[in-house]
Amino acid sequence: MAALAAFLVTFPFTLPYVGGAIDTADRILDWGLFGLGFDLLFGFTGLLSFGQAAFYGVGGFVTAWLLVANVTANAIPALVGGTLAAAIVGAVVGLLALRRAGIYFAMLTLAFGEMFYFLDLSPLATYTGGENGLSNVPAPRLDFGLFAITASSQMALYWLLAALFFAGFWIALRITRSPFGAVLRAIRDNDERAAALGHDVPKYKLVVFTIAAAYGGLAGGLLGLLQGFMPPDAFYLATSGQLVVQTVIGGSATLVGPLVGAGVWLYLYTLLENVAGIGALGTLILGLVFVALVTLFRGGLVGAGVVVWRRLAALPASPEEAVAERELPPTAMAAHTTPQGEIVLEVSGIAKNFGGLVAVDNISFSLREGEVRAVIGPNGAGKSTFFGMLAKLIPPSSGRIVFAGEDITRVNATEVCQRGIAKTFQINQLFSNLTVHENLMISALAREQGKFRAAMFRDVSRETGAARRVLDVADAVRLAGRLDAPASSLAYGEKRRLEIGLALATEPRVLLLDEPTAGMSPAERTETVQLLRRIAQGMTIVIVEHDMDVVFGLAQRITVLFNGRVIAEGAPETIQADAGVRAAYLGNPVPDEQPA
Amino acid sequence: MSWPLLIAQVFNGLTLGALLVIVAMGLTIIYGALGVVNFAHGAFYVLGAYAGYIAYSETNSFVLAMAAGAVFVLLSGVVIERGLIRFYYDRPKEDQILVTFGAGIVLVEAIRAIFGGLAQHLPTPSWGEGAVHLGITYYPTYRIEVLGIVAVALLLFYVVLYRTRLGLIVRAGIEDPLIVDMLGINVRRTFLTVFGVGAAAAGLAGVVNAPIVTVTPDMGADVLVQSFVVIVIGGVGSFWGAVAGGLICGEILALTSMVAPSYSQVMLFAAMALVLVLRPQGLFGVTGRQ
Amino acid sequence: MIERPAKSVSRRRVLKGAAAAASVGPFFHAPKAFSQEAIGNWPAGVSGDSVFVGVTSPLTGAYSADGADHLRGYQLAIEHLNGGGGLVGHISTLKGNGVLGKKIDYKYADTQLKPNVAVQEQTTYITSNKAIMITGCVSSATAIALEALAQRMHVLNMVGASGADETTGADCQRYGFRSQPGAYMAAKALTPTLGKLYGKNKKMIFLVPDYAYGHSVEHATGTLTQQELDWKNLGSQVCPLGTTDYSSFLLNVANSGADIFINVCFGGDAVASCKQAKQFGVLDKMKMVVPNISAFQAQQTGADIMGGVPGTMDFWWTLAEKNQAAKLFVDAFEKKFDAKPMWCAHIAYAQMIVWADAVERAKSFDPVAVIKALEEGHKLAMPLGEVWYRATDHQQVRDVPVVMGKKQSEMKNKDDYFEIIEMAPGPGLMPPDAGTCKLPGYT
Repeated sequence: MAALAAFLVTFPFTLPYVGGAIDTADRILDWGLFGLGFDLLFGFTGLLSFGQAAFYGVGGFVTAWLLVANVTANAIPALVGGTLAAAIVGAVVGLLALRRAGIYFAMLTLAFGEMFYFLDLSPLATYTGGENGLSNVPAPRLDFGLFAITASSQMALYWLLAALFFAGFWIALRITRSPFGAVLRAIRDNDERAAALGHDVPKYKLVVFTIAAAYGGLAGGLLGLLQGFMPPDAFYLATSGQLVVQTVIGGSATLVGPLVGAGVWLYLYTLLENVAGIGALGTLILGLVFVALVTLFRGGLVGAGVVVWRRLAALPASPEEAVAERELPPTAMAAHTTPQGEIVLEVSGIAKNFGGLVAVDNISFSLREGEVRAVIGPNGAGKSTFFGMLAKLIPPSSGRIVFAGEDITRVNATEVCQRGIAKTFQINQLFSNLTVHENLMISALAREQGKFRAAMFRDVSRETGAARRVLDVADAVRLAGRLDAPASSLAYGEKRRLEIGLALATEPRVLLLDEPTAGMSPAERTETVQLLRRIAQGMTIVIVEHDMDVVFGLAQRITVLFNGRVIAEGAPETIQADAGVRAAYLGNPVPDEQPA
Repeated sequence: MSWPLLIAQVFNGLTLGALLVIVAMGLTIIYGALGVVNFAHGAFYVLGAYAGYIAYSETNSFVLAMAAGAVFVLLSGVVIERGLIRFYYDRPKEDQILVTFGAGIVLVEAIRAIFGGLAQHLPTPSWGEGAVHLGITYYPTYRIEVLGIVAVALLLFYVVLYRTRLGLIVRAGIEDPLIVDMLGINVRRTFLTVFGVGAAAAGLAGVVNAPIVTVTPDMGADVLVQSFVVIVIGGVGSFWGAVAGGLICGEILALTSMVAPSYSQVMLFAAMALVLVLRPQGLFGVTGRQ
Repeated sequence: MIERPAKSVSRRRVLKGAAAAASVGPFFHAPKAFSQEAIGNWPAGVSGDSVFVGVTSPLTGAYSADGADHLRGYQLAIEHLNGGGGLVGHISTLKGNGVLGKKIDYKYADTQLKPNVAVQEQTTYITSNKAIMITGCVSSATAIALEALAQRMHVLNMVGASGADETTGADCQRYGFRSQPGAYMAAKALTPTLGKLYGKNKKMIFLVPDYAYGHSVEHATGTLTQQELDWKNLGSQVCPLGTTDYSSFLLNVANSGADIFINVCFGGDAVASCKQAKQFGVLDKMKMVVPNISAFQAQQTGADIMGGVPGTMDFWWTLAEKNQAAKLFVDAFEKKFDAKPMWCAHIAYAQMIVWADAVERAKSFDPVAVIKALEEGHKLAMPLGEVWYRATDHQQVRDVPVVMGKKQSEMKNKDDYFEIIEMAPGPGLMPPDAGTCKLPGYT
């Protein structure tokens, strides 16, 4: 931040040496401010929007109109009004556009952005001046009540913009360091997992979208003030596109990327214009630079700069120290005091058809508190479907699921996780770009703060309760020595342990494990069984498995599925001896010779 | 407002929609099969129009111009897929969007650098001149022929999608890309073909539409947005979705012009918003691919 | 190992930064001029032996051809002003050795047809290059934006190509001077000719692109033809700006029963809509009128469509046959660029000449003095005939060429697209002083 302050203070004086004017500096800052919100949305949350111009324009024209129509002569309420208007519009557009994920979202924002362009041009032309824009926007008069400043000179305008950019940057930085920001990063990496861990992902997305819109609105309002004219091109698709290009060139998820990108864009044009014959090729060259950066240096200029800086400063990569494993007493993970034996999860008559195929046919299932239940069966028995229904990923065609006395048949995965059922996935669903510590923090935060908390100004490192839980879980899954390693760099076995850890950190009452030893070597499998045995104490677990060693090593009771139905249920010895089960598996039911 | 005029406008909506259908068809199979939203689709449209224009200037044959437009864009699509897009299949979706967006900018600016900004003129083919009296109103012959051309192209698409092995792979890939991959089918080669064909659809639309509008480097910008609206309404990855969506959009444009002409573009977006609220996956959408 | 977060922003740091910024700020306000008369970039920008003129023009985008033509006009004018030729010599005040002895230095920038880019570029020219005059645009939106900038920065703006009434109407500025006829003037010029061609009591229908300029042309043309020729207005087909396919609108037009089809579209939109109008048989059923014909329209649309279509233009090169000044201009342009000048080039050239003349007469670059010199209403013999500026709204009083497209068979050479059928006299065309223009102050 100090570096930023220093830069802002010296920028107007260094710029003339490279051929720029203060006005250029103003515009770079304005794009930078616009980009702060966009970077939060795209860089940190992974939502690529091509319609930000809509909010830039709305904020800009509301601010300009308030001043030109003499509703107020004070630039402060005008800017606030513009920002608020943009935020409201952002919330509405967000509600519609966020209904679809990923790529659809980009297309939708593009379309909505265009819609605002057409609205600006014609139906609302009396307010916006149509294609002429609004002229005669007065120089900003900031009336603080007790005193007023009018920023009429170039330098005064610069200081105003610099101050607002600094403030905007500070706020954005706080957000990225807050629990809210941590959840945003998780959403960018794997939004389905974030939802499965109990975060209300749609709400987080909507809030960050609205924030981005607000930043856009403020930047738009400032544009009108800084040039005394609010242009219609604020609404152009090209404006949204320019923002995207600048952010990527500068570097997304850096917060200063858009500022750097704006500098590059504006500077390149100035540079090229003086070279005869190439002036008109400015956009072509920028387009090529953009494609090259996206392909080769996805981190943009700032990202590349950081890499170079690290090399030069010979900073070590994150250390992987071996930390002595704390020996935890077995009851450390037990978080529930309800007496063992009560039915905690009751499934009655659940069924699922896919068209004509009946995958699960009327299964009933009761789970008692503290029980470790294995669900087994040959391929095609309906295990995955049954499990999916328990984990609320697949809606049942019929039947009921009751958890701790409440009907959760129609409750979604996020809510169910908050209530206390957590699941691990057969294919690792980790937040690959986050470290182990950050991964576990996401789960812990969901437990600490519920589905949604707009905790944008606390520092996430201050979340002591969550941090403690992260340490406990890391110890339990034997990843305490790898807390600073990015999840993508872990070995497969470590990743599986992290997968379990994610579910554990939400402090579930019931833990659903989907083939936890899938793909593991025998040594890893043994380790995992030991791990699971440790955490099984005091926890209620349902585990789907193929490996009979694992099953018999863990389970207190076993449910056997075949053709979508329960054919046997009971203690391991009973199941082992059951002829029907043997027949279903079509082979010798001797434990170490079980077919996979 | 008279009944004959209404019927004439409904018919006009069909021709307006027909071109949208072809463009959207290309976009939807690329997205459905490859999962790539091709933000360069508008640029392919422009590329086709210019390729057709050059071909026509050399040969004076409109049929050749159409073929040239489609083939040139198909080859360009293949080159871009091999040279750029294929490095992105394992990258996040947003990166794919960014690279196609950038490629679109580069293509359009390159065209502008070569041809300049002045509008080029691709005349109506001789067999398309004049107007036909449809009983209700006079209607340009060429536009009716465009309906025919589009119908033939759609038929080809249909045959390929539903009657060939390639089409089967494409449709399977739209339903569940993972399975197709695991079955060991050479998905990469399929991707190449699909991208090329999808691009060619846009290129063909560009040539076919060129006699109607003016050929400028910026002619594709609207097309991109409108084709997005079409596939949101119709449903992604769906043949009939592109058809239905395109025709509906055409009708919206035509019919709004009778009632509130300055809102005709805005109405497209309003319709899209409505579909989003009531049926987010689109009219014929498959909820499979998100 | 607990991840140690980077130092979070401490309050101290924030205050430090803010204090640094605030302490430096006050010392660097733009110093108030020590001389009372200094205004804008005067006298600072004229202290050397050259003066700077900032030129903007859309070199990319929908009007790039007009933009290129526009720029050429400026280049020719500055060449002549600095070294003689063309109208320099024909106009007594201009000696061909610069303006007031100072050479004219200039730079040009591409606005990409975006008003905001134009404002950005010209602001740089004003602040960094100390421009003493800014000029150039091919759109009213840009013109209005630049006029406002000029007023704010107190630097004179000789408006480029702009046809909206607002430029010298509701958005007029003391520091802006516009030469092109506004929508009202063009309509007033055209109406008598329409009467002569088609007679009274006709039914007309409009195709209007939905933006302010389109509506003002529609309004002016519609009102005047109704008042003076008793024409009946059957309505307007309003299309969104940038429409490429006019089929639905043209269907309605074709079935309207009108005698006259008035196409208000401009530029590329006009080319597309005229072509499609022909396809829909509109041109067989009714006569088309294009109140404002863009420079390259005939070239892009084709003589077979534009033949017999009347309209107005700011300038057409065949004026060289009637008018000495026009001949000097057209010949010089053709010699340098091997092409006929279109009206954007004419506006550029003429505005530079008029400005230079005003500066010479004021004997100073002081913008207030130059403005007053222009407001005097001094008449100059220019390619259009006699022109002068009206003080009340800074609209140039000048004749308006009413043209008609020539059929292919009538064209004597490849540029001979139009015939000037009338030069409507300027004074009769001026919008009545309705009071929409309130010129702000000189300082």
